[in-house]
Amino acid sequence: MSLESVSRRDVLRVAAVAGTGLVLGCRLASPDSHARNLSHGEAQDGPVFEPNAWLKVLPNDDVVIVVARPDIGQGTRTSMAMIVAEELGVDWRKVKVEQAVADRKYGPMGVGGSASVRGSYAPLRRAGAAAREMLVAAAAAKWGVEASACRAENGVVLSGDNKLAFAALAADAAKLPVPANPTLKDPAAFTIIGKRTSRVDNRDVVTGRAVFGLDVRAVKAFRAAILRPRCFTGRISEFDDTEARKVEGVRDVFQLGTGVVVIGDTTHAAFEGRKRLKTTENPGPAGKVTSASIREAMRAAIQPWPEAPEGKVVEATFELPFLAHAPMEPQNCTVWIHDGVCEIWAPTQVPDSLLGQAARAAEVAPDKVTIHVPLIGGGFGRRLVSDFAMEAIEIAKRVGDPVQLVWSRDDDTRHDYYRPASHHALRAVLDASGKPIHWRHQYIQAGGRTNAGPYRAESLDYGFGSVEARGGSVATPVPTGAWRSVGHSHTGFVYEAFVDELATAAGQDPVAFRLAHIEDPRLRKALELCAEKANWGSKLPNGRGRGVACFADYGSYCVHIVEATMTKGGVKVNRVVSTVDCGIAINPGGVEQQILGGTVDGLSCALRAEITIENGGVVESSYRDFEWFRMKDAPRHEIHRIESRESPGGMGEVGVPGAPAALANAIFAATGTRYRNLPIRLA
Amino acid sequence: MEHFELKVNGQNVRVEASGEMPLLWVLRDKLNLCGTKYGCGVGVCGSCVVLVGEFAARACMVPLKQVAGKSVLTIEGLSKTGDHPLQRAWMELDVPQCGYCQAGQIMAAAALLRRKPNPTDADIDAAMSDVICRCGTYDRIRSAIKLAAQGAPGSEEEVPA
Repeated sequence: MSLESVSRRDVLRVAAVAGTGLVLGCRLASPDSHARNLSHGEAQDGPVFEPNAWLKVLPNDDVVIVVARPDIGQGTRTSMAMIVAEELGVDWRKVKVEQAVADRKYGPMGVGGSASVRGSYAPLRRAGAAAREMLVAAAAAKWGVEASACRAENGVVLSGDNKLAFAALAADAAKLPVPANPTLKDPAAFTIIGKRTSRVDNRDVVTGRAVFGLDVRAVKAFRAAILRPRCFTGRISEFDDTEARKVEGVRDVFQLGTGVVVIGDTTHAAFEGRKRLKTTENPGPAGKVTSASIREAMRAAIQPWPEAPEGKVVEATFELPFLAHAPMEPQNCTVWIHDGVCEIWAPTQVPDSLLGQAARAAEVAPDKVTIHVPLIGGGFGRRLVSDFAMEAIEIAKRVGDPVQLVWSRDDDTRHDYYRPASHHALRAVLDASGKPIHWRHQYIQAGGRTNAGPYRAESLDYGFGSVEARGGSVATPVPTGAWRSVGHSHTGFVYEAFVDELATAAGQDPVAFRLAHIEDPRLRKALELCAEKANWGSKLPNGRGRGVACFADYGSYCVHIVEATMTKGGVKVNRVVSTVDCGIAINPGGVEQQILGGTVDGLSCALRAEITIENGGVVESSYRDFEWFRMKDAPRHEIHRIESRESPGGMGEVGVPGAPAALANAIFAATGTRYRNLPIRLA
Repeated sequence: MEHFELKVNGQNVRVEASGEMPLLWVLRDKLNLCGTKYGCGVGVCGSCVVLVGEFAARACMVPLKQVAGKSVLTIEGLSKTGDHPLQRAWMELDVPQCGYCQAGQIMAAAALLRRKPNPTDADIDAAMSDVICRCGTYDRIRSAIKLAAQGAPGSEEEVPA
């Protein structure tokens, strides 16, 4: 097999540059317009001020801010850059954002656990402030004044009548030592942080120029598709590729692990070839497993309750299904292994940890691996696992030329690392005043990954007296992993639905009952504001109900109030009001986006989404049967942000957990029926 | 090999490919027009919506032979400079999150506005529910369509001859 690489020279040049660790080491030969401008622009002709890994002041007065954390839709490329720009004192319109090539010098690069802003806020501020102090020191020396008599703003240093642009100071600043403990700005003086700021990629997105993983055309690559066994423990034991090889554009067919790879000139050729393979699958030991058998095993693992203290006993059980992540962009990866180097374009949430894995798999030295991170069409936790990249590397080793592995939607739906299914038994006891004095929670999850279960069971946000939770898991062949909000995607629903039941048992209003027991003043304020904005307590039309749910974690707080109407066909979510307190909001518009999207996730889980296991594999194959909210389902959503000077909290997940509970509570308010299993199937 | 001639974003192109190849892969793998996204390949997600003539079509479901001699408009051709009313509204209201589905959303909205310059909520529900946004940006999409309809006449649109 041979292939003419249209940009082979480009790639070799870039790989060589990256290997030497020069200033220009982060330039990519990618079709991305910013990167291309940088590679061929003035940058190489004049002095570049690069005091640390995070920013560069270019001779043309542009400031390049390097963002290490991948953008999976949570807006890191904007929010991370805003933090650096704020402390640097640059004109935001002059900022160009560059996505970091995976490198340990950036520290943790992974995006998960709503940790990007929380983990990077302090180091990025220091990076920007250090550069600002160096530029100021250079100006002060030039003018013979004290540094304290100078200030930096909008990309210039000023002192009295003196004024110099950063670019004019860059060469002198670069000779100064990097301050270890630069003085940070007073947040009250922020001009970029806290300002509603459009995503830096918006123009590229709306014009179709944005480069996602599947759009990587930096090298001319063959396309690869894999026919995988349907069962999790299955293996393609025999295959006949006679018809597949007749498809125009199919170049090769070979076995890889438990599946069969088809290589084509185009994605269509690879997919068509795969369709024409005749295969025999050995389902392996788990070929009979079903959702029902897993559910029974979870139910059987629940222990009988010991004797309860005296009072009014309330008990309930809840069941949640497996969920796929189903990002819009299916898994994919482009790899070229040549001349002892391995070049990867991977839509991954964990570029740094992929480095070592990739070097081992590609059998090259770790410093010979270059991982480019394109824009990413959704993550939700799926791309914390790099299985797709490992597959692409194995295929590239075999092929020898650049290859883009493309998962079909069917692959993506049926070969995920699923949010585990779970079963929950809860029991609470109320005293004569209606106060819960005893709270017990047993949870069983299907799947053994440690981080996939309800992990916050012990830390309820209510002062409920004696609180205990214990959990376990039943083994299943279903691969499981982290799914947006992880354990909270279970307990956010279960706890807030059960608290609602306790309010009913106590004969109290759901908001008043919560306020009577919530101690955290920030959560109280978010709840009070949400109730006010949603006109809690006002009369609703017949058939419509209103439900509330609270959530706090990741350093942030979110309250949802949902209004829903029972219709002939099911449930219509009419209106959602949310309040959020995330401390200092880096980009208020981005904060609202995360609440908007997280809520749609939570509501989709409440009413639509379920992964079903039959015969040891997944039944659903696309959005046709793994359903998600669409325009007709989406409610009008009012989001109210509470101003705060607290440290920035995480935002990626906080909008998800409460939404299904608020909806289930609204359905109860409308119908008097509690729905405790998701997705809700109306009686 | 078979070959077909069609008009893409106002330009005549000649494509050598099987007539069965979906327009989606013709655009992405043959013409390197990657703005039109692959989301499902089975016509249920709408990430690949383009205009064929005046109408929205899912490029993954349209074989090349069916668009021979026809005009196809993709997100890259919607405007010369990114200043189509919908594109401006999308940026103004900061609609995209991951951004992957947004070309399909914008093209579906473009087809809607050609038919109904002032769409109602019901019109938007009917026209836009074929396009999934897994990030859940629907509320902003709805507002952006209305903003484009109000504030910006459709005459600025590039219409391929």
